[in-house]
Amino acid sequence: MPAAQMGAFPVSEIPGIDKQNAATLGRLLGTGRAAYAEAYADGRMRATVRIPVDELTFDPRVLIMPHGGELELELINEDDNTHVVLLPSNGDRKFIGLVNHSRGRARIELDGPGHYFYYGPFGNDEGRGLVGVILVQGETPPEARLDRPPQPRP
Amino acid sequence: MATQLIDAGEAVDFSSLSSVPGKAPDVASGVTYERILNARSEPHNWLTYYGAYDGKRYSPLNQINKGNVSKLRPAWIFQPGAAMGIIPGLGTYAFEASPLVVDGVMFVSGWDGYVWALDARTGQELWRYKHEAPFDVSLCCGNVNRGVAVADGKVFVVTLNGRILALDATTGKVVWNRVYCDVRAGESATVAPLVVKNLVIVGSSGGEFGVRGHADAFDLKTGEHAWRCYMVPKPGEPGSETWPADGEAWARGGANPWTTPTFDPELNLLYFNTGNPCPDFDGDVRPGDNLYTDSVVAVDPDTGQIKNHYQYTPHDIWDYDSTMENILFEMDGRKCSGHFDKNGYFFVLDRTDCSLIRVAPFVDRITWGEIDEKGNVTVRVGPTKEGEPVHFFPGPAGAKEWTHAAYNPDTGLFYVPVQDIGATATLRRRMFKESIPYWGAAVAVDTTDYAGSISAFDPKTGKETWRFRRDVPMCSSVLTTAGDLVFAGEPDGMFDALDARSGELLWQFQCGNGHHSSPSSYSVDGQQYIAVPTGWGGWVEGFLPGRLGNPHGAALIAFALPD
Repeated sequence: MPAAQMGAFPVSEIPGIDKQNAATLGRLLGTGRAAYAEAYADGRMRATVRIPVDELTFDPRVLIMPHGGELELELINEDDNTHVVLLPSNGDRKFIGLVNHSRGRARIELDGPGHYFYYGPFGNDEGRGLVGVILVQGETPPEARLDRPPQPRP
Repeated sequence: MATQLIDAGEAVDFSSLSSVPGKAPDVASGVTYERILNARSEPHNWLTYYGAYDGKRYSPLNQINKGNVSKLRPAWIFQPGAAMGIIPGLGTYAFEASPLVVDGVMFVSGWDGYVWALDARTGQELWRYKHEAPFDVSLCCGNVNRGVAVADGKVFVVTLNGRILALDATTGKVVWNRVYCDVRAGESATVAPLVVKNLVIVGSSGGEFGVRGHADAFDLKTGEHAWRCYMVPKPGEPGSETWPADGEAWARGGANPWTTPTFDPELNLLYFNTGNPCPDFDGDVRPGDNLYTDSVVAVDPDTGQIKNHYQYTPHDIWDYDSTMENILFEMDGRKCSGHFDKNGYFFVLDRTDCSLIRVAPFVDRITWGEIDEKGNVTVRVGPTKEGEPVHFFPGPAGAKEWTHAAYNPDTGLFYVPVQDIGATATLRRRMFKESIPYWGAAVAVDTTDYAGSISAFDPKTGKETWRFRRDVPMCSSVLTTAGDLVFAGEPDGMFDALDARSGELLWQFQCGNGHHSSPSSYSVDGQQYIAVPTGWGGWVEGFLPGRLGNPHGAALIAFALPD
């Protein structure tokens, strides 16, 4: 039976999926806000990500880098609980402990295009929703492109 | 009222929260092309992917031998942890690499962008490097990596998102970083690089995504790109007559060289092994033999020019990648190569011109077709009618997968991990869309009625001389040594030592999870070790779905004799 006839509807319309202990135990991935990292003139980028009170989420949930490279992150734990964050970065992952009401920094380097997950691996916070995405835009650099005519994409 | 925020400081490298010192002895500065050329003159080391350029996977060490192998026991285990990753796929987070050892330091790559330097005597981790791969990179067969190359003070490794890195061998820090694969096209990289002369040589992956396979070479010191060799010719180039003259089948032709070539320094030829044409099963899109898919391609390492080739499966519609190694050996004064193909046939070629010397079956069941002693191919069955299921042996994983055979010059025999397993493919034509899998069929690999073995073959006759039978296909590389031994790992976890002359089982150890990797051998302070990377990952659903639920794991075990 086609999905429309089964009553399918957008995920975002599930009541309570963007809240803790509402639709389900945690907050579903795919909810939340997105934001672009700011770019410096030299190509580096920066952004601020917060952990709001009692939401067990990152805000913005999806951070967009316009291209691969270095990203300076400010991480602010506004929550009334302690968290940790493990970030992807070429060379070695970056780890930071964020006690209640704290602010920290991280410098990471990622290739583009592609998207990467990061999370707060403490007490299954990540299962409850403390999972973020860094989405890196861009095309394959010219030196790596295949020598063939442009191809149709999905 | 605004809350005062406590300063949490700066994020630290994750490895700083460990006992890893971050430093290894400088053993790699003195590794040169000349040393790799003579790799077997230093049998305490495993200096290059196959042990030496000829691909034999043979160690001259014999401290561990037929007489004492029954006493072999684990000396150390390295278990870096398969977790700390979000990809839940079954084919992930497992070793597929061949560990290299240089003067007491082991260099090995793992899943998900990891490279480690270990103390080869104790297993202590000396440094680690991790390159992040995007979650959404196109991977047919797991977040794997087959190994590194070491030379000129550097460790060379490819990344899943199509880069080649040079790492400082003492610290694991990046020296240079070049991108060579098109991830938007669906390419990736999993090959172990090969150092030849002043170059590091790599190949592309992505043969299931309709890309145009290629090998590339980079300057060891600077990373400057030296050459690219496409394995599917453009219109007008030699071999292009084997593709349709109109349309873009060639542009999506596949032929990815995703395993490490062998090298003959006297002939100055690299022997690349190329993958399937694309779409894997829909031959109507690409009438013709489709060069240089499913071939050995002999390439000049100085220029990247194709000099010779032999195509093992012309116009392949069974996904018979020929990325199995071409092992270089001498026979009756002739320079030969031996290759055990997915299609079930053992080929012996004259490697000076890639002409056929001998071809013979090496697995019990072959139903897709027949190759006579002159190399003429007769097709019997294949997915040629839309919607009609066709069963054939061997299945797409092949009578031998990429995992490597070995050749022992003391016995004159090849030792092969054999897979006797079929599949059913139903032609389902589809449109090409860049980065979307482009198989052209529905495929189901058999989950029953299969078998396997480690088999010994005489290249002079093509005949099997002994067989160590198993109830399951054997899916891991074989190692042979001057101790008259053959080592191989099994899907159910056993690691076996066999008598190289008779196939008698002399010793076994249950490693805790299946094997899909390449053991090597080395010695430190006079003690010989067998290094066995384990982990049941990669394309398990393709080569042995009947064991998809086996324990996963990912450990590197070094075995040695008691003191």
